[in-house]
Amino acid sequence: MKKISIFIALLGMTMSSCEEFLTIAPETALSSATFYKTETDFEQAVNATYAPLRSIANSRSWLLCEMRSDNTIYARNINFGATEQQEDLSDHALPEDQGITTNTHVLNQYRQDYLIIARANQILTQIDEIEFNQASKDNLKGQALFLRGYAYYELARYFGSVPLHLTPVTTREEAALPLTPESEIYAQLISDIQAAVNLLPVRSQQGVGRASKGAAQMLLADVFITQKRWAEAETLLKAIISSGEYSLIDNYEDVFSESVGNKNNAESLFEIQFLEGPEGLNSSFLYSFMPRPISLQELQPITGTSNPQPLDGEGNNIPTPDIIAAYEDGDLRKDASIAYVEISGSDREDKVYPYIKKYAKHHELHGNHGINWPIYRYAEVLLFLAEALNEQGKTEEAAGYLNQVRNRAGLANSTASGQTDMREAIFKERRVELAFENKRWFDITRADRVQEIIGDFGARALANPLDYYYPAGATFRSNAFTNITKYYALPAAEAEITPHF
Amino acid sequence: MKKNCYPILDSRRLITLLAAMLLTFVSYAQSTVSGVVRSEGDNETLPGVSVLVKGTTRGTVTDLDGRFQVEAAAGEVLSVSYIGYATREIPVQGGQTEYEIVLASSMSDLTEVVVVGYGSQLKKEITGAVQTVQGDDLLDIPVPLMAQKLQGQLAGVQINQTTGQPGRGMNVRIRGQLSVSAGSEPLYVVDGFPITGDISSLNPDEIQDITILKDAASTSLYGSRAANGVVLITTKRGKAGQSTVSLNVYRGLQNVPHYNRLEMMDAVEFAQFKKEYFEDAGRPVPAMFQNPSQYEGQTQDWYDALLQTAPISNYNLTINNNTEKMRTSVVAGYFDQEGVVLNTDYERFSLRINSDYKASDKLTVGFNLAPTYIRDNIPRTDGSRGTGILFNALHTWPNMPIYDDNGELTFFNRFPSETGNIFAYPNYVRSALEITNETKQTNLLSNAYVQYQPIEGLEIKSTINAEIRNSKYFYFNPSTATPGMNQAIPTVARSTRDNREIFSWLNENTVTYTKSINDHNFQLLGGFTNQYFRLDRTQVVGDTYADDRLPTVQGALNISRGGTISDVQEWALTSFLSRLTYNYKGKYLLTGSIRADGSSRFGSENRWGVFPSVSAGWVMSDEGFLSTSDKVSFMKLRGSYGVTGNNNIGNYTQYALVNNTVNHVFNNTVVPGAAVTSLQNPFLGWETTHQFDIGLDLGLFDDRIQFVYDFYTKNTTNLLYNVQIPQEAGFGSITDNIGEIKFWGHEFAITSRNTQGRLVWTTNANISFNRNRVEELAEGIDRVYGNVHITQVGQPFGQFYGLVKLGNYMNEEDLNSSPQVPGRSTVGSIKLQDINGDGIITRGGDNDDRTIIGNPFPDFTYGITNNFKYGKWDMNIITSGSHGNQLYMRHLFSTANLDGVFNMVAKATDRFRSPEDPGEGIFGTTVGGGNVTGIERDWPNSNFVWDASFFSIKNITLGYNAGTIANVVKSARFYASVQNVYIFTPYWGGPNPEVSQQNNGQGDGGNLSPGIDLTGYPVPRTFTVGANFTF
Repeated sequence: MKKISIFIALLGMTMSSCEEFLTIAPETALSSATFYKTETDFEQAVNATYAPLRSIANSRSWLLCEMRSDNTIYARNINFGATEQQEDLSDHALPEDQGITTNTHVLNQYRQDYLIIARANQILTQIDEIEFNQASKDNLKGQALFLRGYAYYELARYFGSVPLHLTPVTTREEAALPLTPESEIYAQLISDIQAAVNLLPVRSQQGVGRASKGAAQMLLADVFITQKRWAEAETLLKAIISSGEYSLIDNYEDVFSESVGNKNNAESLFEIQFLEGPEGLNSSFLYSFMPRPISLQELQPITGTSNPQPLDGEGNNIPTPDIIAAYEDGDLRKDASIAYVEISGSDREDKVYPYIKKYAKHHELHGNHGINWPIYRYAEVLLFLAEALNEQGKTEEAAGYLNQVRNRAGLANSTASGQTDMREAIFKERRVELAFENKRWFDITRADRVQEIIGDFGARALANPLDYYYPAGATFRSNAFTNITKYYALPAAEAEITPHF
Repeated sequence: MKKNCYPILDSRRLITLLAAMLLTFVSYAQSTVSGVVRSEGDNETLPGVSVLVKGTTRGTVTDLDGRFQVEAAAGEVLSVSYIGYATREIPVQGGQTEYEIVLASSMSDLTEVVVVGYGSQLKKEITGAVQTVQGDDLLDIPVPLMAQKLQGQLAGVQINQTTGQPGRGMNVRIRGQLSVSAGSEPLYVVDGFPITGDISSLNPDEIQDITILKDAASTSLYGSRAANGVVLITTKRGKAGQSTVSLNVYRGLQNVPHYNRLEMMDAVEFAQFKKEYFEDAGRPVPAMFQNPSQYEGQTQDWYDALLQTAPISNYNLTINNNTEKMRTSVVAGYFDQEGVVLNTDYERFSLRINSDYKASDKLTVGFNLAPTYIRDNIPRTDGSRGTGILFNALHTWPNMPIYDDNGELTFFNRFPSETGNIFAYPNYVRSALEITNETKQTNLLSNAYVQYQPIEGLEIKSTINAEIRNSKYFYFNPSTATPGMNQAIPTVARSTRDNREIFSWLNENTVTYTKSINDHNFQLLGGFTNQYFRLDRTQVVGDTYADDRLPTVQGALNISRGGTISDVQEWALTSFLSRLTYNYKGKYLLTGSIRADGSSRFGSENRWGVFPSVSAGWVMSDEGFLSTSDKVSFMKLRGSYGVTGNNNIGNYTQYALVNNTVNHVFNNTVVPGAAVTSLQNPFLGWETTHQFDIGLDLGLFDDRIQFVYDFYTKNTTNLLYNVQIPQEAGFGSITDNIGEIKFWGHEFAITSRNTQGRLVWTTNANISFNRNRVEELAEGIDRVYGNVHITQVGQPFGQFYGLVKLGNYMNEEDLNSSPQVPGRSTVGSIKLQDINGDGIITRGGDNDDRTIIGNPFPDFTYGITNNFKYGKWDMNIITSGSHGNQLYMRHLFSTANLDGVFNMVAKATDRFRSPEDPGEGIFGTTVGGGNVTGIERDWPNSNFVWDASFFSIKNITLGYNAGTIANVVKSARFYASVQNVYIFTPYWGGPNPEVSQQNNGQGDGGNLSPGIDLTGYPVPRTFTVGANFTF
């Protein structure tokens, strides 16, 4: 009987500790119930909000902006059988049905932007509930608002009307929201960025590489210019100049980030940060920009790596004859931006291809570099200001800012006179100064010149496939340049799930 | 006595005792008849056999030498019976006083006791759907895994070998159970312990018997883990009264037969194809292909070069030592298999010690201890293009040299671009030889129990069980080899180390009370259990080595941050269980059971699940109207209904997790980042299955023919499902319990002793019809797409989905009069069906022309086993089959890529070339490049779907019983066995119609994507010879 009592005692003991025994929180991960409690938590949350920008810069923006424009093109390798989603973007042949597209790059851009928004929303709804140093809090809030504003600005420019999420989603029911009109998206993002301008410290007071007051002012100026609110843009841009935080770098070639060095330099207002090495924070876009198939012997001098590998498939973001011709004689920026490589494996008679040189910086290992991606730099502040002034009829004053940029490139002052000429001169200057920095497509869309410029470009390309890197006898697909639109259709994978589009 | 862990032995002793007590005292004077009773086959004498003079109370039992004496008159009949043997009736002849009586073992004796959940039951009185297999019947089959040995032998259980990788790849589904995202493997219970690890580490030669619990009445005592069915495994224990030593050995060779390999182009055919490719395109033919016949006899068979004839061997030494108080069984095993693919192998050392000690009449204690060590190496043989060595080797150009002029393996091959060679092909023979992909596991399974019987009929049992598993995984590809595609050598050397430590314990406490009042028999079980599991895991990934000879962690120039992981997984389960069994005269049977499970995996608002069941049976053959029938010897009707659960829902799925490795960098300095990466669900729970079963057990002609039929229906609801949500939310999905799948099926099993006497021929056959249909998914979602699958409400699970191929456009007229893919269709290209009738062919979107194009599930599966005994010879033939299932020949996207970038299936020689030469219609024109050929290749369509019905002769074994040898060996048996003798199938896409490669790198992930063939590791044919000795 003694054994039985021991047994019963054991039973009773175990039963009473049941609930405790059955509550097991994950040991190697935090849960949302325990996070967002300290300043450090919010710092980490803000850091993670920047993270999707890496994916956007490394593998999306240049597809959706630059290669969509007349600056670069998808160089077809006819031995490579697949038809690529990138080709659909470059050739303006996106499959589209009732405002929906199946293109995976469009989908990924959309999702990465909402990832930024969701992370910012987590911060912004909870940060005021926790007490900590006000200056730190303002800075963190400012960064979160900047990033949310930046993401909505991308969405508004790519898609127009999109769902507007401002608080974290906690249940299935809250996940899908109706499309908010473009104007309301703009109202929200302007309010976010304006708040960020007020909260963020100037660059010299801010952590290197983080969004600062100057970056927020520039982002807001960009928005205003897109909205043709010239006077408000002028005020912001002049504030940036008078802050004394930024200047032009003498030599254009020295403006761009290297794999390790020359990051966040005097000309940089905001750039997407990468790190060479095994941490998984590296970039690799240089490899996407190589014409193919390229042998390791041909690639190595460009990348300088110790372990080059050949690249197959098709070349993305290859400079078009159009951009090459757009540089004036003597423009120092041409050789700093574009170089040439001979590809022995090419099926073309002329085996020499141009490639983007701006970012071709040496690094240690194949496929892994730390080159930062420029978003805003001081030269664009000057060009924006020139544009804002010119649009307000202050053409004389505009010329001064334009010429600062031209002179640095080894060019004489612009000969443009009158508002219309000046508008065109600034438009052209932006093209070459900011070539391959994902500015061209939005310059075309905000000028409402999509059909004109891309239409002409398409006609030229279709008529001369040899010039656009096709081998003899091959040409574009029959549906190339048949779907030229200002906005992208919304992604199909999202449309399948949401009831709203 | 009935209700303990070793029911067969104890009830045998009990009945022997009873028979002795009842019968020996009541004999009166007749003439004395004596004799000996032997068992058929081994000719051993049988002690304890009941010998009864029919119609009298006179009788006796045989002594230790199998001898008996009984008073009987001429004309009377001796009824000789023994558990496990068919009863014989011998007429007493006048003048004959000495009888030699041979008993044949019975296929099924109704006094047989079957292990069930938390106890055992007389087979006759079972009201659920269960099936039992004896471990000894599986001994000869030369494969390392229990599941392999069971193929074809169980009704309602589909066992597929999805890859031939040694020691891996068994897929076991009881009654077709499926889930969208929770696991579907049955629960394995070894000696009462639901194990948490992989059952494949168990040495099958340790198994005494296996009981498969199929319906809810049988499984519901396992509650939230029972929905996939339960497999109870009892390991060998000492047999009363015997002390024996036995040795089982087999050795053999394995190879990959040629008859069913995927036939690829040889070098001449490939050169001819390339020549035609360029000619048809109007492009100059590269010099390499201008004269295809130059490659006559020069074919480099890359696939064959990876294969070898490989040895296999197995040794098991068993000792049974039994004294009055202590019974011990020790099984020591060594299994060693080299794979038929180069540099693959599997090796297992195992030991099991099972001991029972009877401390007093009331108290028994016991221990089991089973350590195993397993080492295997399988260098990335399976997987898609880019990751699987076999796949890559198959489509390597057959004119690329395996060896260079010096007889050394080449490093990689790449021809000039103008030949259309756009990829570098590493030498996959080198890949197989030089890549290490090794797992070393050390497992320890142990149990201890105390069993106490304070009063008659009451039994208290407490067990402690522990499972410890350590595994060390090591992967290394040196700079000279890669499993991937399109990499020049030297490549980047990479290593992965993954060390895991699993610890699980279980404490179970049960009380059983058995009572009979008149003819009313009751048994009540109550119990309380706790189980805990913890996994600690560390993974380190490094790359770029200075020296391939030193693949250490510190030797890596890079330690990959993304691949380096430490992880802890834990769960806890607390349960209360109870069962009441009642019968009246063993004729009317009723059982009810219930289990309540509290699990750490369930959301805080939904922590406890309750799983009841009820079942009833009626032994009709005990009723007056049937008991007199001489044809029907047994008939039982049974039915059950119950609820079970599936708790394979992940350990922390209910929590909103914050990932604190979403790092970022500013100015070359890493900063830590953290973000919420999942949504919480405090209501998350188990999947619930309601199952109804009705069955009939029938014995005819004195049980010479036994027949079992079951019909079941199941409804699985609350499916664990990652409900996709729009990613505008910042999340891709939330895990929730939604939806419903209905399953139903019929199972038939028959055992027939076709002939008796000198030739004993028995046949076991079974056939199962399993069906399922998705009744509901999430709100607002009626379908889930995979890459080539759809799971849709109103249809069976995981159907193949795509466009329907009608043929090729035969000529201009055909092209112009048929719906086309705008801008892409040409004469000779694939002609697809315009399902929605809008005049154009569209894939996806609102004008989708896709539809269901095939079904990976069979109409029925079946198995037939024939066993012959003739004198000292025996032969066993095991077959299994599956009918109506289809496979998606996924590899065709590479192996039939019409752009000529890879080697191709030989069938592509006969493709469309012109309206005059249209080929056999399977493959279209090569002209037009990816824009044209990409439709056929990249748009999933019915050209990929092929019938994969098969009938497989799994095993043929021929044995000879040599009996006693030189007083040393008490009995010896020798045999020869062939495994995977032949597969009859119309399927041509590869050697294994049982293949199903999910999670294969092509995005065909998880349960929703069954039936994918990417040419995995072939299942070898194995020839062995073996011997069993008892000392």
